[in-house]
Amino acid sequence: MTDVSLVHLGRAFGDKWAVKDLNLEIASGEMVALLGPSGCGKTTTLRMITGLARPTTGDVLFDGSSVVEVPTERRGAVLIFQQHLLFPTMTVAQNVGFGLKMAGMGKDEINRRVEEMLERVELSGFGTRKAHQLSGGQQQRVALARGLVTHPKVLLLDEPLANLDANLRITMRHLIRSIQRDLGITAIFVTHDQEEAVMLADRIALMFDGTLQQVGRPDEFYRHPRTAGIASFFRSQNFLPGTRHGDVVSTGAGDLAVGHNVADTGDGPVVVTARPETLTLSNRAGGENGLPATVTSAIYMGTHTQVFVQLAETTWTVHAPPSVTLNPGDQVFVELPKEHIWILEDDSAAQDGR
Amino acid sequence: MTSTSTPGPAPGPDQAVSERRLAGRRQINWLRWATVTVIVVSVVLPGVSLLLRSFAFRWHYPDVLPGEWGLDAWAYTIDDTSRVFESLGNSLRIALLTTTLALLVGMPAARALGQHQFRGKRMVEWILMMPIIVPSLVAAMGIHIVFIRLGLTATVLGVSLVHLIPATPYFVLVMSSVFANYSPALEETARTLGASKIRVFRYVTLPAISSGLLVACLFTFLISWSQYVTTVLIGSGILITLPMVLFPFLGQGNAAVAASITLIFVAPAVMVLILTSRSLGRGSTVMGGFGKV
Amino acid sequence: MTLERRQTPLRERLKIPLMLTPALAVILLLFLGGLVAGLMQSLGYFPAAGLTEFTFRHYVDAVADRNFLVSLWTTFRIAFSVTLLSTVFAVGAALVLRQRFPGSRLATFLFQIPLPVPHLVAASAVILLFAQSGLLSRIGAALGLVDAPGDFPAILYDNASIGVMLSFMWKEIPFVGLVVLAILQSVGPQYEELAQTLGATKRQRLVHVLLPLIMPGVVSTWIIVFAFTFANFEIPLLLGRSFPTTLPVQAFREFQRPELTSRPKGMAIAIVLAVITVLLLIAYRRLARYSRST
Repeated sequence: MTDVSLVHLGRAFGDKWAVKDLNLEIASGEMVALLGPSGCGKTTTLRMITGLARPTTGDVLFDGSSVVEVPTERRGAVLIFQQHLLFPTMTVAQNVGFGLKMAGMGKDEINRRVEEMLERVELSGFGTRKAHQLSGGQQQRVALARGLVTHPKVLLLDEPLANLDANLRITMRHLIRSIQRDLGITAIFVTHDQEEAVMLADRIALMFDGTLQQVGRPDEFYRHPRTAGIASFFRSQNFLPGTRHGDVVSTGAGDLAVGHNVADTGDGPVVVTARPETLTLSNRAGGENGLPATVTSAIYMGTHTQVFVQLAETTWTVHAPPSVTLNPGDQVFVELPKEHIWILEDDSAAQDGR
Repeated sequence: MTSTSTPGPAPGPDQAVSERRLAGRRQINWLRWATVTVIVVSVVLPGVSLLLRSFAFRWHYPDVLPGEWGLDAWAYTIDDTSRVFESLGNSLRIALLTTTLALLVGMPAARALGQHQFRGKRMVEWILMMPIIVPSLVAAMGIHIVFIRLGLTATVLGVSLVHLIPATPYFVLVMSSVFANYSPALEETARTLGASKIRVFRYVTLPAISSGLLVACLFTFLISWSQYVTTVLIGSGILITLPMVLFPFLGQGNAAVAASITLIFVAPAVMVLILTSRSLGRGSTVMGGFGKV
Repeated sequence: MTLERRQTPLRERLKIPLMLTPALAVILLLFLGGLVAGLMQSLGYFPAAGLTEFTFRHYVDAVADRNFLVSLWTTFRIAFSVTLLSTVFAVGAALVLRQRFPGSRLATFLFQIPLPVPHLVAASAVILLFAQSGLLSRIGAALGLVDAPGDFPAILYDNASIGVMLSFMWKEIPFVGLVVLAILQSVGPQYEELAQTLGATKRQRLVHVLLPLIMPGVVSTWIIVFAFTFANFEIPLLLGRSFPTTLPVQAFREFQRPELTSRPKGMAIAIVLAVITVLLLIAYRRLARYSRST
């Protein structure tokens, strides 16, 4: 049971900051995803928590105590690598027992714990095999068992599922999640896949360019992203720039009335967004927040029809019922219900930079 | 709780830890320093002593530097009576012929081993690699009588053929690893684009393998260049190569002449090293070859 | 309905055998042919000298010779020591050189220099440096450590063959070292980092992670270094004693005697030499297979 605090954590390579002034509190037993595109500094953050990389600024605290000066091997932060990295010269059991052997534990005790842990990851009876005799998923489970058997304070996973195929990924997700919950271990995992982060994590910490963008529960990233950049990372495509005056946003396609549940961005330039499934199409003006638009294409998707419309200067996606048939050039009205509109900070400058 | 440090500003244990780390680092640096020194000394000192010796006219014990300098040793070395030029020519001819022969017989085999899977591949590899372990001297001794009968002793061709025994395995070893890293898909693409087999080789294959091929040829050359005992045997003492001229000077003979001939003898190796220093760092197979030279 | 199979053209089927033929011909004719011819001679079949009767006499002669066992022992001792010492120093050097530090690139470049240099050059340098009146002795004198050439340890033409071993090691340490360095670079730092997060100290990482990873590569260089040192002729001839000498030198001496009738004995020694290296090779393959299967 360990809580982890990252305080003003930063790491620079010369003038370039891989991670900059990162502050994050992770509660004991919590599972947090460090999410972001490749090269955003999430792996560097993980390495600083393990001690494999030394922070340039700030501190890493375990249960309120700084661990920056504690060498990796005594820190109790186990890292599971993306490439499972089973020691090729050892058997599965020797791999799993490695950490215990390093700690000088007796043979019988090691065997007992290894057997227990192999059972935990559903690999009983695989102890005498060698790494190359296992499938990718089995290797990953051995790597997980090897990390967990030492009862680490913190479990760190670097893209743990990236090398597995789609089906295996789902099984492994469940396994990792259930073991982590059962053991009540604090876990931080790195991923570039927002879907994986959403399904696995209690909370997500999103990073762009070495900087923390938003921290919150998975649903918050869909419903209430802070910026257009964050929203588009979560696959949102509907962005309409405008100017806010209190509860009204004037856009190139007309004025929109917004509810009181939106972010307090203040008056000035903002971006309006709404998820495709909350929008409706109508062929008459006068509906709630109905804006005129032109259909550019419509694709039948089975459960719905995905309609792309030109709305002012922007392209929006709308999920219409599957029965709807529309042709390019059709004039429609997109209705944006007040309660589903979300207003973002205008970060177009930052987006261009990426 | 972590045991080694306390939270916040209390500096005590933190400082102790960082000092311990510093001590560890200092120890590593000492080892590093010692290793680098040994490497530098063991490479530079022989080179320097060879140069000093070859230009020394008088060098009495215990002077660290020669008392009198002179070009006598070099003058003798380039004189016809020393047979250095004659043997240099023979060494070059033999090494070039060996390299050409290794290239001709080795390229197809290297390609087959590097790019194709076939039955008996391991067996073929085994046979081709045997001379790396089993001494070629024994084979050369055995074949000597056959070469006498065929009139191959004391000829450039005969000596080259014997040098081919240790040279071929290394040529094939390096080139097969070059071919293994080279995708035939590129050639197939070129074929579908209408290139003839010859043009494919000229414009696709050759540029892709040229640097590996250069390395393979250079050290095939060096393997032949460095041969001593097999040349003595098959050359019948009539065909003289550079190491054979050098040999009698080593130990008992004139040390200054020995040094100057040694410098000529080592020159191609140094040139090869400079030419290949980039590719050397990459693959162990390349170095495996050099290790045997 | 049966479909007619199209025949693979002969040219296609013969492609690989044809590609392999030239190289195999060289090795089979020159190398294996040479070994077989040598074996026949050692067994007494040597028509050129008027010998046509098969006999083991020459082997008995060779082995019964007092020199043989001493030479065999000397050869083994030198090859084993060179292999062992080279490996230890090479692994140490590789562990240092794989780190990045100011001057590491230059040091790695210098480390490679002995590789393409002929052994005879190594011997030449060892003589200049380590002779009793050599450069090291003179430097020793300048530092007041040595008074006369006789004070400097005689390590050339000595009983312990130290000069011979130094020459070999000058060449073999970089060879083994660069192979190990290449393995270390391909392995990368990740296994060590992983072991570190699992609580392994620096020492434990070396013993339990790094050494097992580089072991297979090290063993195969052992075989090459051992076999090479075992069969080298010129270095022990130049820097060793004339008695006891090594097997290759002894074989060649017998072989080169003016009277052709002493050739079979030299050949017998050479064949013993070859057989030992073949046994070594087989042992290595067994070892490699064993370590792969467990």
